[in-house]
Amino acid sequence: MALDSEDEILQDFLVEADEILESLNEQLVALETQPENSDLLNSIFRGFHTIKGGAGFLSLDAMVALCHKGEDVFNILRQGERTVDAEMMDTFLKVLDILNTMFVETKSGEYPSPADPAILAQLASYLAPTVPVIPEPVVTAPVAATVTPNEATDNDDITDEEFEALLNQLHGDGAPGTVTTSPAPAPIATTKSNDDITEEEFEALLDELQGKKKTVAASQQPIIEASIPTAVLTPEIKALSPKVIISPQTANVDTAAKPAAAAKQAETSVRVDTARLDEIMNMVGELVLVRNRISTLEATFENEEMAKAVNNLAVVTADLQNAVMKTRMQPIKKVFGRFPRVVRDLARSLKKDINLELRGEETDLDKNLVEALADPLVHLVRNAVDHGVEMPDVREKSGKSRQGLIVLAAAQEGDHILLTISDDGAGMDANVLRQKAVEKGMMDEETASRLTDSECFALIFAPGFSMKAEISDISGRGVGMDVVKTSISKLNGVIDIKSEVGIGTTLSIKVPLTLAIMPTLMVMLGDQIFAFPLVSVNEIFHLDLTKTHMVDGQKTIMVRKKTLPLFFLRKWLTSSFNPSGKPEIEHVVIVNVGTQRVGFVVDQLIGQEEVVIKPLGALLQGTKGLAGATITGDGRIALILDFPELMNTYANRGY
Amino acid sequence: MPPVRVLIVDDSGFFRRRLSEIIARDPRLQVIGMASNGLEAVTQVSLLKPDVISMDIEMPVMDGISAVRKIMAQHPTPILMLSTWSTEGAKSTLEALEAGAVDYLPKRFQDISDDTNIAHQLLCQRLHDLATNSHTNNLPTAKVSSILHAARPPYATANQTTNGPIRLVAIGTSTGGPVALQVILSQLPSDFPYPILLIQHMPAAFTPSFAQRLDTQCKITIKQAINGEKLVPGTAYLAPGGMQMIIKGTKISSIVEIQTGQSDQTYKPSIDLTLESLIPMCPAETLVIILTGMGADGREGCRQLRPLGATIWAQDKQSSTIYGMPMAIAKADLADKILSLNDIAHRLAELR
Repeated sequence: MALDSEDEILQDFLVEADEILESLNEQLVALETQPENSDLLNSIFRGFHTIKGGAGFLSLDAMVALCHKGEDVFNILRQGERTVDAEMMDTFLKVLDILNTMFVETKSGEYPSPADPAILAQLASYLAPTVPVIPEPVVTAPVAATVTPNEATDNDDITDEEFEALLNQLHGDGAPGTVTTSPAPAPIATTKSNDDITEEEFEALLDELQGKKKTVAASQQPIIEASIPTAVLTPEIKALSPKVIISPQTANVDTAAKPAAAAKQAETSVRVDTARLDEIMNMVGELVLVRNRISTLEATFENEEMAKAVNNLAVVTADLQNAVMKTRMQPIKKVFGRFPRVVRDLARSLKKDINLELRGEETDLDKNLVEALADPLVHLVRNAVDHGVEMPDVREKSGKSRQGLIVLAAAQEGDHILLTISDDGAGMDANVLRQKAVEKGMMDEETASRLTDSECFALIFAPGFSMKAEISDISGRGVGMDVVKTSISKLNGVIDIKSEVGIGTTLSIKVPLTLAIMPTLMVMLGDQIFAFPLVSVNEIFHLDLTKTHMVDGQKTIMVRKKTLPLFFLRKWLTSSFNPSGKPEIEHVVIVNVGTQRVGFVVDQLIGQEEVVIKPLGALLQGTKGLAGATITGDGRIALILDFPELMNTYANRGY
Repeated sequence: MPPVRVLIVDDSGFFRRRLSEIIARDPRLQVIGMASNGLEAVTQVSLLKPDVISMDIEMPVMDGISAVRKIMAQHPTPILMLSTWSTEGAKSTLEALEAGAVDYLPKRFQDISDDTNIAHQLLCQRLHDLATNSHTNNLPTAKVSSILHAARPPYATANQTTNGPIRLVAIGTSTGGPVALQVILSQLPSDFPYPILLIQHMPAAFTPSFAQRLDTQCKITIKQAINGEKLVPGTAYLAPGGMQMIIKGTKISSIVEIQTGQSDQTYKPSIDLTLESLIPMCPAETLVIILTGMGADGREGCRQLRPLGATIWAQDKQSSTIYGMPMAIAKADLADKILSLNDIAHRLAELR
């Protein structure tokens, strides 16, 4: 029987489970460094407990069985009867991986397949606190697999004698223990000998775990407690995939005294399908276009009242656009959250010692962007661990601390997000890269020698350019750096690399806040309007065409002592290109394409405009170099350029 | 009748929404609020004054047991614990009951019934019953400690309280029973001269923990009954959950027989079944005590034992958490005495 993956209840569960799995991931990694942190242990215990509860509700028995075991083990851990060791950590992370797999199965509408009995047995073995029990085949008797929950709880399948026998096996001497008959297809005997604990000890333990002081303090201030329910009842602000939750920005503090209002405060968020948000965003986009149109028309009227109204419309539209954009925002934590685990696992397998620092996790960006950035970032971080940070011994020799540092940071800068991945590793040697480029036949020695250092670093994004002689399975993974660059470019993002030998490498990625509405620079080529994504535009200047040079058959210009290739866009994009009779002064727009800067000659500059990207019509579909189309303020159609593709298609150098 | 106002407490948003949906389907119930941890629950209770609370145990900030303790101290309200039916779950559930929660149901509804509709209905029914039937002013909290110091009226001889000499005591109870049993059994002297049969409606996962817990709290020995064991004085035998406890043998040498519960049996263990097994034994020398609980289990057993000379006590309405089973006895005119929990404890302790 398959699950109905569209079922609302299932979706609800998946959203919550997804969130818990993600925090479990972080918490488990954190646990490795602070194994005795009781808050952490409690929290992980509850994580398993809550997933188990939800899975139980939906009869996802395999998930229940696994979570149940995890919960039991963490119950032992949080009661201090056992402490976490590295081997246990590996098991837990394995458990988490299995849970994630089950989660994916469930998401795709299948009942999760039961976990490997070995891992369940492994978990069960942690439940005997003092004696390290080696899981014997007897314990995980195959009969357990066929036991249905009811039979298990009813004790139908196992007689007292059998129980005793199992107990004896586990305890060695038949010590009185309590037997849990697991209500799920799991190894049947879970034994605990922790029942000897006295009431007082238990109480003391409970108080310790729950922070007795806190509750005492609370009871002494009943008045304050009663008057601040809104502060206590934080609305669930969850930013989740695949759905985004909108939570009201204005918590009504005044209604706190009214019980009914307070009750409603308990759940103030509404779950909205992202498709609906996309729809709203699209309509707001249309509104932006209408506003642009009206603003343009208004200019011809010279009517003050009209101008006021139009201004008002502009303000409201901008606010609305902002508000809608915010509903689609998710903290980048969503992506960052998986990195501690990634770095830990990788560093462990490479025998490196690496500390990962996350900064600006709360930075919000568009949900689609968060998802689109996940893979490239994973690749770059893996790269930093694999190629960036050196082995501990090597680091020590070069006078660094044995532990390497990788900093992953996010920050909002105006209308874009800046992401940086920096390591304090060996850095890249520009000369090595030059040599490599020549070896690979990508360019001749002369060209290579003319490359600036940063252009050399950019070479790692070229297709087929691998830094390591043999591709390790770590950085390999089927995604090359060129794919990373392509995906970032697709998001209208730019990548920049800075590296210093012996000091480290910093990669910065700039992406726009949202994909739906794009600030652009409108230009004219002939009588046609084109839109440049503003995020790629570096600078604009007037160019004396007599000051260009030819290098390798490529027209170039010098801008502040830097040589940039120069292209005539009208040659590529309009049919009316007439080389003769061209003016001596042209407008040049310097654009970032990936890590490269190039100049484009345009006929006329119109100005900045926010546009909504519309897909191209059937006739133009698939035209290289065009990202889409939009409607301008004066009602005309403008084509939006896709620079990386444009360069690939028309320029003879493959940046 | 205005609907019963329910407060849902659970740290899982998923579970809160499911409970809310299930409860909303019952016209007799109305969800008036939800809390995601114990502290919120305490605040909500003082603001909203719900008629009944469904309470999770494992929660951040403040767990369910602490919340029960606080709520019962500030605004006594019937609380239904939603717990895990496991050994660990049993421990915390029993603790919650001791803290003042009235009843419990499994969080995994399949543990109630494979038919989800039946399970949901039972949950709603239970919430409704707890809100309408339980005596809020008389919820079990705090009694445990105070009762020990209550004035003890003198009972001269056993003959004044029972119909004759006694050989065996059988106590049957359901909702509210765990705490009531604790109150009674903890007052018995270690040399209590008779074996005691305890039939408490409880799931299989709970009874071992419950027996163990009682044993540490009482002077007499309390254990979960084992198939084939001989009844000895000064020991209480708790019927294992999911099973039936039958007494066989002679009145000199009585043997416990544990039978597997059948799916058509409503109560496992059933008070009626155990009582009926006593008919060929020593009915005239048996004292049956029916304590707090929903339903009428024990009535048929008493109906058969009483003509044979058994003494029957039923708990009174005031001290019962749920006045159901004792009421059934009283209404059928089967009770020799209707006593408060305190009186039952004292009179039993005086038996010689």
